[in-house]
Amino acid sequence: MNALLSGRVLVGAALILFVSLCAMFAPLLASHDPGEQDLLNILLPPAWSSGGDAAFPLGTDSLGRDQFARLLYGARLALLVAVTAACGAAVLGTVLAHIAGYFGGFLDWLIGRAVEVWMSFPPVILSLILMVGLGTGADRVVLAIVLVDWTRFCRVLRAEVLVTTQRDYVTAARLSGFTHLQTLIREILPATLPLLITLLSLEMGIAVIVEAILSFVGLGVAADQVAWGQMIADARSNFALAPWTLLLPMAAIFFTVTGFNLLGDGLRRTLDVRQTIARSA
Amino acid sequence: MIRRLTFNLAPGRILGIVGESGAGKTMIGRVIAHALPAGFAVTGGSLRLDDDNLVRLTPARRRALLGRDIAFVPQEPMTALNPVMTIGAQFSEHLKRLGITSRRTRALELLDAVHLRDGAALLRRYPHQLSGGMCQRVLIAMAFAGRPRVIVADEPTTALDVTIQARIVQLMAELQRNAGTAMLFITHDLRLASRICDEIVVLYAGRAVERGPAASLLAEPAHPYTRSLQLASPTMTGPRRALLALAHRMPGLLELAGMSGCRFAPRCPIAEADCLTMDPLDRAAGPMRVAACLRVDGAHRIAVSGLPVAPAIASGKPVLRLHDASKRFRSFWGATGTWAVHDASLVIGAGEFVGLVGESGSGKSTVARLIMGLERATSGRVVLGDRDVTRASAADARHRLHWAQMVFQDPQSALNPRRMVGDIVTQVLQAGRRPLDRTRRMERARELLAEVGLGADLLERYPAQLSGGQRQRVNIARALCAVPRLLVADEIVSGLDVSVQAQLLALLLRLRAERGIALLFISHDLSVVRHLCERVLVMHRGDIVEQGPTETVFASPRHPYTRRLLAAVPPDDPALPWQPFPDEAELMPPAGPPRAAVAVPSR
Amino acid sequence: MIAILFLLARRLLTALPILLTVSILMFVALRLLPVDPAAMSMPPNATNEDIAAKRREMGLDKPLTTQYAIWLRGALHGDFGRSIQLRRDAGHLVTAALPATIQLALCAMVIASVLGLGGGLLLFHLRGGASEALGDLGTTVLLSVPEFLWALLFILLFGVLLPVLPFIGQLGPQFSVVRVTGFLLIDTLLAGQGSAFASALAHLTLPAAALGIAFSPAIMRVLRSGLLDVYHEDYIRQARLRGIGEGRILIVHALPNAILPTLTLMGVQFGFLFGGTLLVEVLYSYPGLGNLMVDAVRNADLPLIQTVGLTYCIVVLLIGMTVDALVLVLNPRLRAR
Repeated sequence: MNALLSGRVLVGAALILFVSLCAMFAPLLASHDPGEQDLLNILLPPAWSSGGDAAFPLGTDSLGRDQFARLLYGARLALLVAVTAACGAAVLGTVLAHIAGYFGGFLDWLIGRAVEVWMSFPPVILSLILMVGLGTGADRVVLAIVLVDWTRFCRVLRAEVLVTTQRDYVTAARLSGFTHLQTLIREILPATLPLLITLLSLEMGIAVIVEAILSFVGLGVAADQVAWGQMIADARSNFALAPWTLLLPMAAIFFTVTGFNLLGDGLRRTLDVRQTIARSA
Repeated sequence: MIRRLTFNLAPGRILGIVGESGAGKTMIGRVIAHALPAGFAVTGGSLRLDDDNLVRLTPARRRALLGRDIAFVPQEPMTALNPVMTIGAQFSEHLKRLGITSRRTRALELLDAVHLRDGAALLRRYPHQLSGGMCQRVLIAMAFAGRPRVIVADEPTTALDVTIQARIVQLMAELQRNAGTAMLFITHDLRLASRICDEIVVLYAGRAVERGPAASLLAEPAHPYTRSLQLASPTMTGPRRALLALAHRMPGLLELAGMSGCRFAPRCPIAEADCLTMDPLDRAAGPMRVAACLRVDGAHRIAVSGLPVAPAIASGKPVLRLHDASKRFRSFWGATGTWAVHDASLVIGAGEFVGLVGESGSGKSTVARLIMGLERATSGRVVLGDRDVTRASAADARHRLHWAQMVFQDPQSALNPRRMVGDIVTQVLQAGRRPLDRTRRMERARELLAEVGLGADLLERYPAQLSGGQRQRVNIARALCAVPRLLVADEIVSGLDVSVQAQLLALLLRLRAERGIALLFISHDLSVVRHLCERVLVMHRGDIVEQGPTETVFASPRHPYTRRLLAAVPPDDPALPWQPFPDEAELMPPAGPPRAAVAVPSR
Repeated sequence: MIAILFLLARRLLTALPILLTVSILMFVALRLLPVDPAAMSMPPNATNEDIAAKRREMGLDKPLTTQYAIWLRGALHGDFGRSIQLRRDAGHLVTAALPATIQLALCAMVIASVLGLGGGLLLFHLRGGASEALGDLGTTVLLSVPEFLWALLFILLFGVLLPVLPFIGQLGPQFSVVRVTGFLLIDTLLAGQGSAFASALAHLTLPAAALGIAFSPAIMRVLRSGLLDVYHEDYIRQARLRGIGEGRILIVHALPNAILPTLTLMGVQFGFLFGGTLLVEVLYSYPGLGNLMVDAVRNADLPLIQTVGLTYCIVVLLIGMTVDALVLVLNPRLRAR
């Protein structure tokens, strides 16, 4: 248990906690509505630099909207999407991985081919195509991520299930009269759980990035919702004039993703999972 | 770890280092190679090779000696060769370092010397295209290439099949004789060591307990430990006798720190109070013999008597019948397949112990899997008691629960590391529609542990906290939970030391005496089968080639394969000659596909 | 050699059903679309009858399977339909844009490989020391920066703060180059235009570096852990016991083994990298497949989306095939069968 409190896990969890608190208390922390436009105060620099205004702690964008408020509300969307999409992808991928790895044979072949088809799509391209088909909205973004990223879980976990299934204690459980479902839940899932938790944490980071990309391209959430990717897209036209409008959402994305990655990486070490999973996971 | 170890090795001699796992055998090789694991250090003493003290060499000097003056023969030949380099490239690299110019010619000579035919073709091969025995021959050829002064062979045959093991040992002795090299032969097998070595050092818990010429040491052990080791090993000839089962186990590293007296004293049958406190110094025990024991002449007092085997409970009713059972593994698409088991028939009566012997890939394990319903027979019938369970249906599985249970080979893999012993042994009671509550299960678990000779204090331990012998007992306890009439045991003692093995064999015999259980005992170790089973079946490439009463089969084998198998075991009496058959298959370079398809059981 | 050809043939055979499945999936996914592509391709004042006529013309009134069959027949004859928005042959649009993207991806792959393998060796070299933890932390942080953040960062750093490199387009506006191969770096050289070549190279630097850096840390990690695994193998120990020097052990014995899992991962990574070109192209206004795709997506230009999407898949499959062939060349255990 003390290993769980390793540096990485602590720092990662602290970052995530910080972002979560920001998201949760966004209405209390922000003095402006994120959509509120103030055309007299456009592209204000942050409050501490010259020309800044204390009413807009992190400055304003090209429409005079409060960057601070937009960052906080953007965190809400980012975390919401990250957690639900990652969990969804985890459930889908884990179930298929266990079926494929445990039963083998035709089911394994079928799931393996499905993963192969999915892997031939670069994830960005597949999610774009899905978003065209599904239409915009936070729920659609989640659905698209689930439908794209289940393969990350499926591929990595299937190998782990396969290794565990070949252990004699799984055979022993079957010989003791356990059903397949009981064997899967009691003997195999506990062995794959550490890897699953690690992947889940890493996937949340990936989901944050995908959500930002989709919002950036303009296929993410509806125009009236605030998203970090959208902030980047908005800032692109003025970045030479007001680089901070670009840097702030970039920093937000970076710290959130780093938080999830540190957490995942720390868990991988402390939960003693194979060292080979990297970004391919 | 190792204390005050002294030995001399003269050119042209073979010194055997014998000990059970944890005795520190491997550490000796590592000290010589200067490859000690982290946390270990040589704190004193010296290790001289002529003028060089191997303990304090400059790295450059050590590297100059390695491979040239000191050569190593590894334990796992299959993994000791680089998989992406051809044999030729690895030979050439080695010979180049030795400064040999006509490398190809020399490599071919060396391969010829280790009896590998068609060396030219072999040099183009990759390690995975060779069998384990061939890999070991290649490695031996490389070891002898530089005409080294010393060869260190650390369990060079443990990973190989018995018939191949015999050939490799003889080959090494032959090369060593011709080259006049000194050799350090590290092994756990006292009998094997006595066959090849001139002198033997017996190691116990890092201490050399006895040293002397091989023949006299084996004929008359002076140290109680050597004597116990001998009495714990089953024999191949003479009347069957009970085995000495020493209590406890060898002290581990941490326990050693707190010991002041003889390290063997807590287990020693003839120890007295002073043994626990007084450090036994080396004492002379006959001509050229040294033993570290306060009671040097007491070892012969250790004895076991009587028959090991309670007479078989031969009732007419068979528990298992196999009628022409066959299993063919097919490739996913293909029509071709290999017969893992071909028309196997066997009957096991209640309370009967039957041995099934053969080498790896012979189909022994597949027979076990057919009986347990883990594979479905391609043809033939499997009958447990009065029910045909060939189809391996769910109802068959419920029936099997109380008829046959399996004990697995590797207790490491057979026990879920995440569950406690109490839960593991009673998992049968947790399965099904009406699982038993925890209190009742723990009650049963306590009974089961007692039955296999374990204390109730282990109930809440995890497998990682147990010793190898304890794990194997837990493994057996789990199989007993549903009170089956037949145990199927697949190589359950193969990874264990002889003293632990003796304890487990005694346990199996006691179980038969107490509850009339029958046993199908799958093993590659003929002496264990002889000790345990009154009937034996010999399997070779999927066929049962011979079966009958153990004594008859072993005394007058009829099938050539059985004869070869028996000849590979060194006789107990060091005075008798040991003549293993030349292994034809081993000498033949494989034609066509690299290695015979070994059936990998699929799920 | 025969084994490699055999593998490539087998991979091609499995690639075909994959492509077929991919095209079906895309077809179905895109028909979930709530907007009507026929209506979008008409002027705003078109009547309902006009739109219905257009729908018939485009075949949108037929059942989905028939539509797919028509598309497939066309595709097999090299006709991928016409872009609704750009009113040009989708196949031509793709072939015009593809070389630029491939050029970008290849440069990025080179950068990713050099950084990844070099970094992996460095991380392995640092093992056991105090700087190991630092290196580990470094890769974790690097892994958290996706390619589009690198791209934006490079624009800010080397385009705005230190304006040393161009970040718009793929060639300076003052140059015009005759297209022969479509690959600007080659075409400028063929035409003997040294300064245009330099301009093209300068335009390529930032996007390729952004992509390359983003995909290198995963390679670093796998190479390092591959080397760590290999150093636990018996054959390394045995080589040492034969007195072989550490340098030779690393280069001759360890690397050729550790590179195998690394290559396999690089195949997957390069597939992702090829998808990553999309955003980088958008950010650098680089005229390749990515911009074509994003425009098509924004305009719901179904025939074009379908064609570009399929092109991405084909390239990813080709990358996978190339890596497989390479692993096969380097791994005798696979070659034997």
